[in-house]
Amino acid sequence: MSTVEPAAASRAPEAISPLKEAWAVYRRNAPAVFGALLLLAIVAFVLYGTLIYKGDPYEIVWAPQTPPGVEATVPLGTDNLGRDLLRGLLKGGGPTLTVGAAAAVITLVIGIFLGGIAGYFGGWIDDLLMRITEFFQVLPALLFAMVIITLFSPSTITTAIAIGVTLWPQTARLTRAEFLRIRELEYVTAARSIGARNGRIMWKVILPNALPPLIVSATLTVGVAILFQAGLSFLGLDDPNTMSWGLMIGMNRQYILDAWWPVTFPGLAIFLTVLAVSLVGDGLNDAFNPKLRER
Amino acid sequence: MAEPLLSIRDLKVEFSTRHGRVTALDGIDLDLLPGETLGIVGESGCGKSITALATMGLIPDPPGRIAAGHIVFDGENIVRADAARLQNLRGADISMIFQEPMTSLNPVFTAGDQIAEAIMLHQSASKAEANRRAVELLRRVGIPDAERRARSYPHELSGGMRQRVMIAIAISCRPRILIADEPTTALDVTVQAQIFDLMRDIQRQFGVAIMLITHDMGAIAEMADRVAVMYAGQIVEKGSADAILDDPLHPYTRGLIGCIPVLGKESGREERMPPLAEIPGIVPPLHLLRQGCAFADRCPLAFDRCRAERPVLKGEDHTVACFATELEAT
Repeated sequence: MSTVEPAAASRAPEAISPLKEAWAVYRRNAPAVFGALLLLAIVAFVLYGTLIYKGDPYEIVWAPQTPPGVEATVPLGTDNLGRDLLRGLLKGGGPTLTVGAAAAVITLVIGIFLGGIAGYFGGWIDDLLMRITEFFQVLPALLFAMVIITLFSPSTITTAIAIGVTLWPQTARLTRAEFLRIRELEYVTAARSIGARNGRIMWKVILPNALPPLIVSATLTVGVAILFQAGLSFLGLDDPNTMSWGLMIGMNRQYILDAWWPVTFPGLAIFLTVLAVSLVGDGLNDAFNPKLRER
Repeated sequence: MAEPLLSIRDLKVEFSTRHGRVTALDGIDLDLLPGETLGIVGESGCGKSITALATMGLIPDPPGRIAAGHIVFDGENIVRADAARLQNLRGADISMIFQEPMTSLNPVFTAGDQIAEAIMLHQSASKAEANRRAVELLRRVGIPDAERRARSYPHELSGGMRQRVMIAIAISCRPRILIADEPTTALDVTVQAQIFDLMRDIQRQFGVAIMLITHDMGAIAEMADRVAVMYAGQIVEKGSADAILDDPLHPYTRGLIGCIPVLGKESGREERMPPLAEIPGIVPPLHLLRQGCAFADRCPLAFDRCRAERPVLKGEDHTVACFATELEAT
């Protein structure tokens, strides 16, 4: 094939993907890197800790309310029944993190699907879906989640679903706003002009461009969901046979004046996790929107 | 005259706005012959882009709609075609390049991916085959180091290169019509010339018919075989490019040509450059259009009849819709 005169004779520089670019910004953000490392440490602690420090967290192993640091076999002390708190922290971390992540995923799936359709098609579809979204939004979140959990038997999965179903409206509104903005852009018309269908335009053209704020919001949702789950466990609306940080606080709350440690350690774990997730979320926000940061 | 490839008859496009229903295109007649370049020229808001979008079946509906008329492509009226048929036509038979190469490429995909995407939409090609052809197309549109450039993201390309990528996407399925909506407006003058060269080159090789939409009479002079001058949703003058540039009949066309600065007149410096002409006023907002000629308020030749009655296109090959010109001729 013949070629037209070249636009420039220079050799093309290696391409930098938007993700690589975001990572370059993220890497320079100290709190965000700290958050990511903290989160990694917590996940590693929960994943591998149970392999090293084995044992049933419900088993009574030592005298009740042994303070931390007193007895070598129970380094973090015991609760009011004499159960090992470190075992509890390790075993309880899994369900806590799982609920947080699963709830965020459920939120994303429902929110992107409904918000995307509403934003892309507009008109009566938008009106209908947004009224539904508003209906879910005005329900008192904690009460709504409690109702769902009491209707179905409490378990890690029902808790995640209850929280996801409660928190999706924000994601839906955010997705809708992004779709409304992006669908008017010229590259969407350009995609149409080469014969792309609606489904393709929605999920392959618009969604990748709408993702950055959604990823940020999903990250922050993980933190919110963990707090939510702690709240539900605290109220006793959690599977008592699945150890979680919230459940530990809930079980030991009556004895808080006699022993500070059984509630403090899981509380600290929740605090650190949510802190880490929020730092990561903030860091991602800055990485995806470098312009916002300069303001 | 050869059988037209695209034939637009009495096309009327309406938009509902808060001022009520306005007519963006009011009875457009256009023919595009195979392999020719038809220039559509006019100021912003004249309906040039709407003509292009209507041809692609891309009028945003709501608020817009095609109220009347036919667009016949290769014997088929595509105004009444269903969505699936239009999707098959777009890209494969009729494709389009846009004014802003900065915004008409998807920022999150590489240039190569976007060309491959267009190929796979219309032809059964494997991903690898599509990628290979994408690189070939990039080379074809004059992008150096095409293998590597295929992996570039739009923000890493210059405006001219992006427009070349757009052209590569547009010609990826060998369309028979290429609609170019102000393809060079956002580019440097030197790059404009390169893009026009490329378009001519592609037209020679593929025999594609080009509908060139522009407000730049210079671009018309360089590219077009035939020209339609649009004003406020109507065609006011139509004819061969030579006829219109050498002998413009409509006062609006004369005004447009008068707006081109003339550089380096023969005698050189001592002769002062004539002041740049302008057409006073702006295109009237469509909802304020009244009876009579839409250009009457800005026209130096307007007389009573122009404000009362609407002129229609008259003439043989070179047609014009103007009462003043008719008077002149008689």
